[in-house]
Amino acid sequence: MGPREDRDASPSNENDNPSWGSEGRAFRPLLRAGERFARDAASRPILMFEDVYKSYRPGAPVLRGMNLIIERGEFVFITGPSGSGKSTLLRILYAAEKPDEGRILFLGRDITRLRSESIPFLRRNIGVVFQDFKLVGSWSVFENVAITLEVLGLPARLIRSRVGEALERVGLQGRSADPAGVLSGGEQQRVAVARAIVGEPALILADEPTGNLDPQLAIDVLGLFEEIHEAGTTVIFATHDRSLLDVHRRRLVVLDEGRTVDVPNGLATSDDAGAWTRSDNHLPL
Amino acid sequence: MLDGSIGTTSRARRGMLREWRLHTLSVFSLAVAFVCLGAALLVLTNLQAIEERWAHAGRASIYLKDNAPAQDVESLKKALANVPGMLGVRYVSPTQARTEFGQLETGSRAELAALPVEAFPASIEIEVSPDVSDSDLDGIVSKLRQLPAVDDVETYQAWTERLARLIKGGVAAAALLSLVVFASVLAVIGSTIRLALQRRRTEVEVLKLVGASDRFIKGPFLIEGSAQGALGALGAVVLLAALFFLVRGRLDAELASLIGIEPSFLPWYVVVGMVCVGIVLGRFAAALGLRKLVTL
Repeated sequence: MGPREDRDASPSNENDNPSWGSEGRAFRPLLRAGERFARDAASRPILMFEDVYKSYRPGAPVLRGMNLIIERGEFVFITGPSGSGKSTLLRILYAAEKPDEGRILFLGRDITRLRSESIPFLRRNIGVVFQDFKLVGSWSVFENVAITLEVLGLPARLIRSRVGEALERVGLQGRSADPAGVLSGGEQQRVAVARAIVGEPALILADEPTGNLDPQLAIDVLGLFEEIHEAGTTVIFATHDRSLLDVHRRRLVVLDEGRTVDVPNGLATSDDAGAWTRSDNHLPL
Repeated sequence: MLDGSIGTTSRARRGMLREWRLHTLSVFSLAVAFVCLGAALLVLTNLQAIEERWAHAGRASIYLKDNAPAQDVESLKKALANVPGMLGVRYVSPTQARTEFGQLETGSRAELAALPVEAFPASIEIEVSPDVSDSDLDGIVSKLRQLPAVDDVETYQAWTERLARLIKGGVAAAALLSLVVFASVLAVIGSTIRLALQRRRTEVEVLKLVGASDRFIKGPFLIEGSAQGALGALGAVVLLAALFFLVRGRLDAELASLIGIEPSFLPWYVVVGMVCVGIVLGRFAAALGLRKLVTL
């Protein structure tokens, strides 16, 4: 069964109309069961931040009036020093945190106002990869990836096929029966990437996914995200590893002291966010 | 598992197998709690059977006056034999009474059999069919008491009433014990599920991350709670049955002659009821333990 047939299969549980992502088909946000798809969603930016504020302590905002637009199919690096708000930004996107003020439109929907019962539907449209992999060590590779589709209630046959494809994409074919806990760091991160992409989400968030890997593995993992992006998926990649930023020139968003500097072509030099130059690898990180 | 199914039951089974020590300890604790309840129910069941047996024993002793004419006694016997539902009418003379008393009593009370014959009144022992209602038997007894040859009529009603009061007290005690058992079941299962949730924190985080609903996440834990409750109750029944049949095998004849019935184990519907209570309580306790799911 090919991917096209997979997308036509009907899921069997609470999610009647899931999004199967980005390839040649309009994304259908499923923020709440039973709501209808807005046809103009495909023409909107995938993400819009409007005056987003977030602080954990009074007087020390992590995000200070952040404005940012990310179009469908973009690959964006988010960078900045530790504590600059990279992880907070991503956590807000998958609704693990709420901003204090402002709006975040995900395909036209304000995700800051989601009710708790709608959050799972948002997360089914976002794949997230973490520095610490967040795999269940006692589960097999297959199970760790399949759980994304299991949650959607897809039939077992379809899950087998889709998981097989995802593992092949990350170079782990033939490893599906291995317990995830015994894999190397690089392999575990590949499993995490497979889990993030198997549901063909509209957006992939990567929160320091190379932080626990050696430089060569880090470049390999970045390559995986590049491939995912080339297939049409929007990728937001948070890292403080300056060497990765030069591997491929991509749009760069720098966070520092609550402010945001957007470098669309990834080449510009700016002192706005605390005197940094990309060409010299001289980010104040 | 490569069949693509990581369903709720499967996840619950694997969770229990992975933490079998924790769950075994929990099931054992629950079994001990349920044994207390089961033992109380077992005693009550048998007491009720005794009450039932004696309430419908349909026996009465009609004590005759010393000077009752033999003709009246004979007429009374004939009249009683013609009463509908009368199974047997037996005249017991004073001599016969003393002999039977001597056979029944042993030890210090055997000396009572050495009393003179005059100490034992003549009587008529009647046996009535269990179909005869208590009110009909009361009617017969009150009519007999009015006869000139009759001194007194003894039924087992007073004894049965005392037993009924005892059973009422037992039911109240069992109800209180049930509350204690239920509270301990809730505490044990709730704690076990909270601990299991803590140990499987990563699993829960992953599930939340991929968009699982709370229902999907809680499902296996609820099944685990129900299974613990059911296994605890079932374990208690097995333990209780083993003890019961061990004791009954040794004391059967003596017990049966003492209480007038053969002791019986808990009826099937009580066993099923205990298991069902275990399941329901287990699920409820697990739901309570899961009120605060891991936040992500």
